[in-house]
Amino acid sequence: MKNRLEELRKARGLRQEELAEALEVSRQTIGSLENGRYNPSILLAFKLSRYFGVPIEEIFIYEEEPS
Amino acid sequence: MKGKKTLYIALIVIGLCFAAASLILWEAIPNSLGGVLMGSGSGMAAIGLTQLLMLCLDTKDPAQARRKEIEVHDERNVAIRRRAKALSGDVLQWAVIAAAWVSIGFDAPLWVTLVAIAAFVSKSLLEVYLVVRYQREM
Repeated sequence: MKNRLEELRKARGLRQEELAEALEVSRQTIGSLENGRYNPSILLAFKLSRYFGVPIEEIFIYEEEPS
Repeated sequence: MKGKKTLYIALIVIGLCFAAASLILWEAIPNSLGGVLMGSGSGMAAIGLTQLLMLCLDTKDPAQARRKEIEVHDERNVAIRRRAKALSGDVLQWAVIAAAWVSIGFDAPLWVTLVAIAAFVSKSLLEVYLVVRYQREM
């Protein structure tokens, strides 16, 4: 799933380590999220949403696969 | 923290007692029992000692301890560990059944084949039980 995490983080001048510490996850998790290699749990998605003060839909872009 | 420290110290003491008992009673007890006492005793003492040392290091550096705790509970790390355990369990299960076939091919004693088949069936049954349980829970 695509997301705007890197953009939002950089807009706030944060390093991956700082965001990871604030959300109590590892730095690797933030890296994997930004690369789209890992989709977060709903809890982590809410934590990110609250942290950045934007709705989840503005962080994660859900695109239905063409059938 | 204090509870953990007590547990690790207890592990060291019990482990050393087991190892000492195997040395003191080595003439009075069967070799197999002595081996079990020495093996389990030294294992317990070693685990207790390493865990106690880790606990001391964590106490000295709380920031490092916090980072370690985050790494352990990190949801991606947990997911990776679970996936790795599940896959390795599957591989092991099929390796066991392959070993059963090989044991038949090499005319191994019947009990070797039966043990391998029992391990395969037990794992399959446990898997079914866990699937049913998780289906009820989730």
